[in-house]
Amino acid sequence: MAAVQSGQSETEEEKEIQPETSNDGSRTDLRPPAESPGGPASSPGAVKPSAPGEEETLRAVLRFLQKNNLSESVEILRREAGLPDEPEDQTGSESSGTGSGGQEAGGGVGDAGSLLSRVSAAPTPAAATVAAPPPPPLKVGAGDDRPDVNVVLSAYSQQGDPVLYDVYYSGLKKFIESVLDCHRAELSQVFYPLFVHMYLELVYNNHEAESKAFFEKFSGDQECYYADDLRILSSLSKKEHMRGNETLLDFRTSKFVLRISRDSYQLLKRHLQERQNNQIWTIIQEHLYIDIFDGMPRSKSQIDAMSGSLAGEAKRDSNKAKVFYGLLKEPEIEVPLDDEDEEVENEEGKPKKKKPKKDSLGNKSKKQDPNAPQQNRIPLPELKDSDKLDKIMNLKEATKRVRLGRDTLPSICFYSFLNAYQGLTAVDFTDDSSLIAGGYADSTVRVWSVTPKKLRRVKSAADLSLIDKESDDVLERIMDEKTASESKILHGHSGPVYGISFSPDRNYLLSCSEDGTVRLWSLQTFTCLVGYKGHNYPVWDTQFSPYGYYFISGGHDRVARLWATDHYQPLRMFAGHLADITCTRFHPNSNYVATGSSDRTIRLWDVLTGNCVRILTGHKGPIHAIAFSPNGKFMASGATDGRVLLWDIGHGIMIGDLKGHTDAIYTLKFSRDGEILASGSMDNTVRLWDAFKAFDELETDDFTATTGHIHLPENSQELLLGTYLTKATPVIHLHFTRRNLLLAAGAYNP
Amino acid sequence: MASPKTLPKDAQVMIQILKDMGITEYEPRVINQMLEFTYRYVTTIIEDAKIYATHAKKSTVDAEDIKLAIQCRMDQSFTSPPPRDFLLEVARQKNGTPLPLIKPYTGPRLPPDRYCLTAPNYRLKSIQKKVSSSGGRITVPRLSVGSVSSRPGTPTLGTPSVTPKVATPLSLSGQRFTVQIPNSQTAVSKTVTPSTPTVQNVLINPSLIGSKNILITTKMVSQSSASESLKRKHEDDDDYDNL
Repeated sequence: MAAVQSGQSETEEEKEIQPETSNDGSRTDLRPPAESPGGPASSPGAVKPSAPGEEETLRAVLRFLQKNNLSESVEILRREAGLPDEPEDQTGSESSGTGSGGQEAGGGVGDAGSLLSRVSAAPTPAAATVAAPPPPPLKVGAGDDRPDVNVVLSAYSQQGDPVLYDVYYSGLKKFIESVLDCHRAELSQVFYPLFVHMYLELVYNNHEAESKAFFEKFSGDQECYYADDLRILSSLSKKEHMRGNETLLDFRTSKFVLRISRDSYQLLKRHLQERQNNQIWTIIQEHLYIDIFDGMPRSKSQIDAMSGSLAGEAKRDSNKAKVFYGLLKEPEIEVPLDDEDEEVENEEGKPKKKKPKKDSLGNKSKKQDPNAPQQNRIPLPELKDSDKLDKIMNLKEATKRVRLGRDTLPSICFYSFLNAYQGLTAVDFTDDSSLIAGGYADSTVRVWSVTPKKLRRVKSAADLSLIDKESDDVLERIMDEKTASESKILHGHSGPVYGISFSPDRNYLLSCSEDGTVRLWSLQTFTCLVGYKGHNYPVWDTQFSPYGYYFISGGHDRVARLWATDHYQPLRMFAGHLADITCTRFHPNSNYVATGSSDRTIRLWDVLTGNCVRILTGHKGPIHAIAFSPNGKFMASGATDGRVLLWDIGHGIMIGDLKGHTDAIYTLKFSRDGEILASGSMDNTVRLWDAFKAFDELETDDFTATTGHIHLPENSQELLLGTYLTKATPVIHLHFTRRNLLLAAGAYNP
Repeated sequence: MASPKTLPKDAQVMIQILKDMGITEYEPRVINQMLEFTYRYVTTIIEDAKIYATHAKKSTVDAEDIKLAIQCRMDQSFTSPPPRDFLLEVARQKNGTPLPLIKPYTGPRLPPDRYCLTAPNYRLKSIQKKVSSSGGRITVPRLSVGSVSSRPGTPTLGTPSVTPKVATPLSLSGQRFTVQIPNSQTAVSKTVTPSTPTVQNVLINPSLIGSKNILITTKMVSQSSASESLKRKHEDDDDYDNL
């Protein structure tokens, strides 16, 4: 026991020393460099961990044993694992280690006066809460986690007297207000995450009165775009409230990312370390990830443009992966001899002597576009004959396409859904605009034919055996004339249908609903073929890949899944968002998937590996609309804050901000050649923006990307080409036909 | 909306809650729905708590019981999605497998049939000849809803007097005979059943099955003719004429 005792007192001494010295300084120097893989493990003179994760687990177990006063086991484990005596690189553990050490000390040796004051302030927390190692910086896409341990150990530990939180925060506020203007904007970023974490800490440790007072005093200072979050926070006053709220739990364990220039950071660090009670410093270390860049401090507007998401901004290296944003090469299709009317007109009088000409889509070069993915990077279905016919039709239509531009705006044809009683929740058009489908809150899906051609069902098996299979119009004969109708209703879901998507070959329709399933319907028999179960929570959006066969779905469980129609389980799971995924879109080359979420970020995922290759922050509300430009280079996104943001995918930065809408934007679409961007919103308008101009003057380079010094031209007014109001019908879907006529859809509410 | 002064206190509280949560525009019926939900939830919790209290042999319900009741309900009805680290782990495993190659020219690409919803939700009666070889099995006398009304002549074919006109409940309560529900005849069957008293039905009383074996087989033979007619297309109207 003696050995154990000395071991304990030894640790106590060490702990005594640490708070006073600027050991913090040495510790924290390890943090700032953005690249700290398994940061906690990189302590000076660190033990050779077999893997950062394993050392972390061992330390966690060690602290657990310490908490439960199993001193002998602690010693044995420490000896065998070869862990250093005091995990001094973990600030969270320091206080709880102090707590446990203090408790034992309190029983016997009571020489650490300053320590005891800490401990007494948190008697229950030391017992109730467990040591809090800073959770490993949750690297994007690298599943660096051990579920059980992290969950158990990721709690808030008491960082000092709750009553003093007020004082700490005000002190910081005063300091930041006193710094130079150029630094103030950057340092003000610290306020919000600090406020939230301190508040949550108070709540978690059951200091209800103090937490309320703290909230009332400082919530008004926060940025306006955090108002929704703050309201949710205000409703949390007890620890039990936090239990069911997954988003907040994730917020608690993940690190809020801030990008601060080196100068500003030095200022902050110096100020916080020279004070005796640097609780704020420890909180910052524990919950914030400060991504430092060298360069000019950013201005308030630049910071405002990029911030707003639930987890701060994106780390620099999360947007560094190479993204193949080019388009896949179109296959060469022979345009066969045809006797279309226009050809006849042209050749009137002349003998029709046309050789089948090679289809050239302008892609004469055989060289691979360096920015385009390989053809076989992901397996794609081969082209069937019907697909080839479709492509030929597409080409023909493309020749008749209206060239849009600033002076030639598209005509807009609006489809109002009547008698929907506010239940219309999703709409989709086929690519050739022949069918329109609507998903309703009464769990039905209705399909209409937009052209005079009616919808027909395929004949039953008995009848099919009777028809002549060799006849030319067999495709007509298999259709049952008796079932012709303008619209068809598809029943099957047991909850409101929130997302609809037609397949590119017009054979299938997907619908996703609140009941957690995604259903595949056949548009030839108008029956349900498959129900894909995987999400156990409402699925908010689904979309077919531009080449068919694959589709994605995203929902409340914060995971987006990639499925193939012939697998009953998903092929890929894209996990990483902090809140539900509200919008899922494929990139035109089908190799990447963009997901917009309620945590106000957009993530771009690689289909091949499942990794997140881009995190784009800047929206101040949940994102409901994403659109890729037809050339694959750019992306537009719209959220409930009424702004449309334009992104350069290659560099991963924001290049434009279109202000104009006054309410949530639910749909975005680029015209067929990418000249015009149309946006539809809840404020009953459709707005047209000049996409060519917006993407024209780009001066992005690597510097901009790394530092986030984005220069957003304030040209929303110039780019706005037109605003078209409906009387009282929110626009929930937009679609450009192949000839660049704009179709819009919404439910009419008298 | 009724003026706030005349609203019941609960409604006023609910309005205040909605305001605190930032909801400013709502239809008046929302308050009723919220109150209904609140009432239902609280009653459920308190009832559960009472059960727990009596289980623990306590005379009164105390805070512990309520807490337990809330916790159990939370895990049952108000589950939350899995935690993020779990999802990351699962995703890592799933994303490690390469994308499967696509087989060319395979027609509609759908999962294996057992995962699809394309299977028929009815079953056709199988041919009676096969059944006679396994005579004595209870499933033999296949009672078909449509043809319950076997031709009047059939019962007289060599069946002893025990059998006739025992009204069948015709319930599909799994008497171990297969009931076929021909799709297009379901509507018809409903009209058939009320007229059971006048129709010769067979009651398969389990206690009499043993003795009835022989009867059944003969009956079955007679029925086979009836059933065969059913195996033709369901739109066949001949059977109805026999009712």
